[in-house]
Amino acid sequence: MRYDPPFPKSNGFRPTLIALAVLAVLPFIFTDSYSRHILILAFVFAIVAASWDLSLGFGGLFNFAHVALFAVGVYTYGILAKTLGVSPWIAMPAGGITAMALAGLIALPVLRLSGIYVILVTIAFSQLIYQVIISQSDITGGTSGMVTLPSLELFDYRFIKNHRIGYYYTALALLIAATAFLYTLTRSRFGRAIVAMRDNKYYAMSRGVSEARTRLLALMASGLFTGIAGGFYGSYVRVASPDAFGLGFLTLLLSILLLGGAATIWGPLIAALIITVLSEAMGDLGPWRNIIIAVTIVLVLVFYPGGLWAAFQELREVFDTVRTGLIARLRRSREKAAREARLNATETMIRTRHGLIAAADSGEPDGEAGPPILMIHGNSSCKEVFANQFKAFGKTHRMISFDLPGHGVSANADPEKVYNVPAYAEIAEDVLDFYGVERPIVFGWSLGGYIALELAASGRAVRGVAIAGTPPLAVAPDDVGQAYDATSHFILAGKQYLSPMEMRNFATATAGEKTPGTAYLHEAVNRTDGRARFYMITKLMVVNWPRQMRMLREGAVPFAILNGSDDPFLNHGYIAGLTYGAIWTGQPHDIADGGHAPFVRKPDAFNTAFSAFIGEACDR
Amino acid sequence: MSADTLLFVITGGLVLGALYALMATGLAVVWTTLGIFNFAHGAFIAAGAYIAWQISSAEASGLGYAAGALGSVVGMFFVGVACYALLVKPFERQPNLVLLSVITTLAGASVLESGIDILWGSRSKQLPRIVDGDVSLAGVTISANEAVLMVFVLVILTVLGLFLRRAPAGRAMRAVAQNRESAQLMGLDVPRLYAIAFGLSAALAAFAGVFVGSIRFMTPTMGSDPLMKALIVVIFGGVARFTSPIFAAFIVGLIEAFATFYAGLYWAPAVLFAIMIVVLIIKPEGLFGKYQRTVQ
Amino acid sequence: MTTPLLELRALAGGYEPVQIFQNVSLTMSADTSIGLFGPNGHGKTTLLRTVSGIIDPWRGDILFQGEQMNRPGERGSRRFRNFNYDAVTRRRMNPKRVARAGLIHVPQGNLLFPEMTVEETLSVAPAASAGRARPKDMLEQVHTLFPRVHERRHHKIRFLSGGERQMVAIGAGLMAAPKLLILDEPTLGLSPKLRHELSAAIRTIKSSGVPLIVVDQDVEFLQSLIDTLYLFDHGSISRKIEQAEMPSHAEIMAMLFGEHPA
Repeated sequence: MRYDPPFPKSNGFRPTLIALAVLAVLPFIFTDSYSRHILILAFVFAIVAASWDLSLGFGGLFNFAHVALFAVGVYTYGILAKTLGVSPWIAMPAGGITAMALAGLIALPVLRLSGIYVILVTIAFSQLIYQVIISQSDITGGTSGMVTLPSLELFDYRFIKNHRIGYYYTALALLIAATAFLYTLTRSRFGRAIVAMRDNKYYAMSRGVSEARTRLLALMASGLFTGIAGGFYGSYVRVASPDAFGLGFLTLLLSILLLGGAATIWGPLIAALIITVLSEAMGDLGPWRNIIIAVTIVLVLVFYPGGLWAAFQELREVFDTVRTGLIARLRRSREKAAREARLNATETMIRTRHGLIAAADSGEPDGEAGPPILMIHGNSSCKEVFANQFKAFGKTHRMISFDLPGHGVSANADPEKVYNVPAYAEIAEDVLDFYGVERPIVFGWSLGGYIALELAASGRAVRGVAIAGTPPLAVAPDDVGQAYDATSHFILAGKQYLSPMEMRNFATATAGEKTPGTAYLHEAVNRTDGRARFYMITKLMVVNWPRQMRMLREGAVPFAILNGSDDPFLNHGYIAGLTYGAIWTGQPHDIADGGHAPFVRKPDAFNTAFSAFIGEACDR
Repeated sequence: MSADTLLFVITGGLVLGALYALMATGLAVVWTTLGIFNFAHGAFIAAGAYIAWQISSAEASGLGYAAGALGSVVGMFFVGVACYALLVKPFERQPNLVLLSVITTLAGASVLESGIDILWGSRSKQLPRIVDGDVSLAGVTISANEAVLMVFVLVILTVLGLFLRRAPAGRAMRAVAQNRESAQLMGLDVPRLYAIAFGLSAALAAFAGVFVGSIRFMTPTMGSDPLMKALIVVIFGGVARFTSPIFAAFIVGLIEAFATFYAGLYWAPAVLFAIMIVVLIIKPEGLFGKYQRTVQ
Repeated sequence: MTTPLLELRALAGGYEPVQIFQNVSLTMSADTSIGLFGPNGHGKTTLLRTVSGIIDPWRGDILFQGEQMNRPGERGSRRFRNFNYDAVTRRRMNPKRVARAGLIHVPQGNLLFPEMTVEETLSVAPAASAGRARPKDMLEQVHTLFPRVHERRHHKIRFLSGGERQMVAIGAGLMAAPKLLILDEPTLGLSPKLRHELSAAIRTIKSSGVPLIVVDQDVEFLQSLIDTLYLFDHGSISRKIEQAEMPSHAEIMAMLFGEHPA
């Protein structure tokens, strides 16, 4: 069983840095004791919640004894610093060590258990620890706990002075250390192992990840800063009480974790701040406080299980949709002349049944004319990628192309209804109808190739179909693994949000290095509505792939494959091995060193081949 | 240990066992039917005690013990149904149902405990005994109250067993427990059966609460100890049949009695938890075997 | 023109957020039986589970005996992906209602209720019969059809063999006096002898007047049973074949895949 937040994770590194910087200067704004008290508590809870997140959100293990580890840290501090007179500065980290050791002990039985049993064992452990502590009343003070624990001081400077500013910065320092620790851990190989174990246990194990070791280390790592935070807490409130084992504390921390959203680091931080403030504000409400917290937990879980973090993700999506829509709208009017010049064609906005689409038409050529040609671009690109072809063929053929919805200067659309191949094919139909074009040659690149195939297979009359960078599929998703080579760029094809580096990588892999001449192709990736990439995957299964494959096998439509010989995405062996009823030159025709977009990288070779295909297709 | 002391410890263990059997069966009803662990079960026990007190106690409505018990059981049935509707039903179609319901039922427990605190305050109360005095049986003396309790427990559990075995609704509940989808396809009303199971579980908790309230002091958090004990029992015995918790309950009761005798009151719980952990490691499905439940 | 027994209109559905089947339409009258054939993992079972109400359809309608089974409306565009729509939307299908109307679905696999006896299982099954027939009569029918079920009536299901469990599963379906019986892979995993036995029993059921929808991997078995065959792949019906033109197993494979590289 795994706790799977239903949203894509992201870095959050830069925002974290900003947040921490802000926190560093806060004491100069909030100079009173009470505000700082709230912040100190929030930091402590944030550390505990974020550490809990390591085992729960990332590791998928629900460790119910986590809060007990915090309490252990408090008691360790109490026993070492007060009873044994050890320096508080040693007693605090010692709290972390004991918590970590105990976490290791707890991990042992949990190593191979699943789901509910992890919960039960860890509950048993937390109860066991609790019972042991209250039974040793001479050491731990039993049910009354320990009081007047030593406070922190350094060279005679007592940290409580100056409205506890010393404690503030110590807490902040611990928070920074804990965050850095967790951050590095989750991004390390170990971190990926944890997530791999959570998401796909058997695959991870087959790759040599030891389940037992991963769980052990995850639990121990989650205990380290929890225990240190416990020690610090002991030095701050100066009391070690068995209440730390209680239901109230557990639900408080749980609510922070859930509100903040698991599997993130700074979600719990923000949630800790909010909840601590609210909780302290409700302090005099007594038992009502527990009720409010509990009801909040239930409401969040029922309606919005992803918590604050998921809400941010939603907002981010709204933001991103607006951003990309604005880019499209601005460029639509502003750069229209440049685009038309690039293609030597007239651009028109067409109202198709799936929204506003930008289309380009080079117009009827004077003199001897070949068949009209429809060019369909691929994922995260735009119609201007066919600039070379428009130039080369525009004089003798009517060239038509359009921006897919969410791409180029076309409008964004309802992702559920429109961002899928069949809908794209319907848009292509509408564009052809608008221009009154019948029986065109259709060329599709990458995603566009599937659209071209779909268009032809659905019955639209075409004179011929040529594709590049598109491995035909018969069975999805089974064939996808065979048809494509799994490179890291492949993952980007379906990713909703791309970082600037990822955009650069994807653009380079698909369209080539960024030069002044190809800069606009790189910008096209930035404009693309991320939801189009994402929904392409969820709608993969309902495309009628067999119908496309049948069409290729029957060979009634003239067909050509013009891949770059070194296209890094495709499995060329797979493509060559398919059965084609009638394919130009009898087999896939590779353009040497064409890359994923041979019509960009090697335009002359491509145009020659394409021209030859058109000639032959016309004769049929 | 002398024979007298041995008998004393054993009877003590059996009394505990009877009580735990009642508590654990309630928990097991929900676990086997819905597949989730109801962390509010302890709070149900507490609520049951307090509602009974409210109805029966001279300081409140003064209607007497029987009315208190009955009212509590009926009332808690509806509380159980309500908890199901609010805390479990919204997640029915989620894959993480088990985990989410752990959290929501915990939250529910918090609400109930705090609610009790607000309504009745945290000063201890007590339910009256059913009958006073002691009873002697085969050379062993136990309080008459406890004897009556044990009899009641056995009666209740027997009735429950018959219900599940013979009654259409009981069989329907078992069907839903073992294969939700097949049950749906056979036209059984699964949401209603879930609600009934939860209500039934709460009603059993009310019984337990009424009994516990008469032999121990009542506080708002009185349910957490019974919850832990019920947890131990259910894990110990597994839930292969609805009756497995019963045998396990008596074993746990006996272990606790002996542990208390030898290790003292403070250490006994620790011993119990340690044993539970060991069982979980060696045989996670409990001493009495695995519950055959198809994938939901 | 009488009301069709079952009508599916442009049905679409899947498991959030992945769509599994799309635009499925078919009409079935009470005097025919139909078969569904296609590769695994392409949505046949998902389609059946939608028809019987276990999961909600995303679009389209299901009409049984002229009565609409699904609450009308579409699955709205789920704009906020992290919002738990399940908590606030009512289910559009009610499997209890579907079963009680007489549409009985015997699902794939026959795990049933491992800890209940055969007798107990058959006593729970008539819940869907909604008074159409007396449980005693139906029970007699089941015992006649599957004598082994009668023999083993006091045994727990988990002690039965695969074939016996399948008989109990189908028997339980019959206990509900179905107006339409859907059998999902009834002969899966059974030995040829048992398959033969079971198909004979199913033929008897058909001849007693119960229309069937059968999904199976055995084309010959299907052909002997049904009047119309639907080829189902990639979440939609790719072909409808009437009994008259029924092709061989090899021909059907070719229709579905052609020369598919293994």
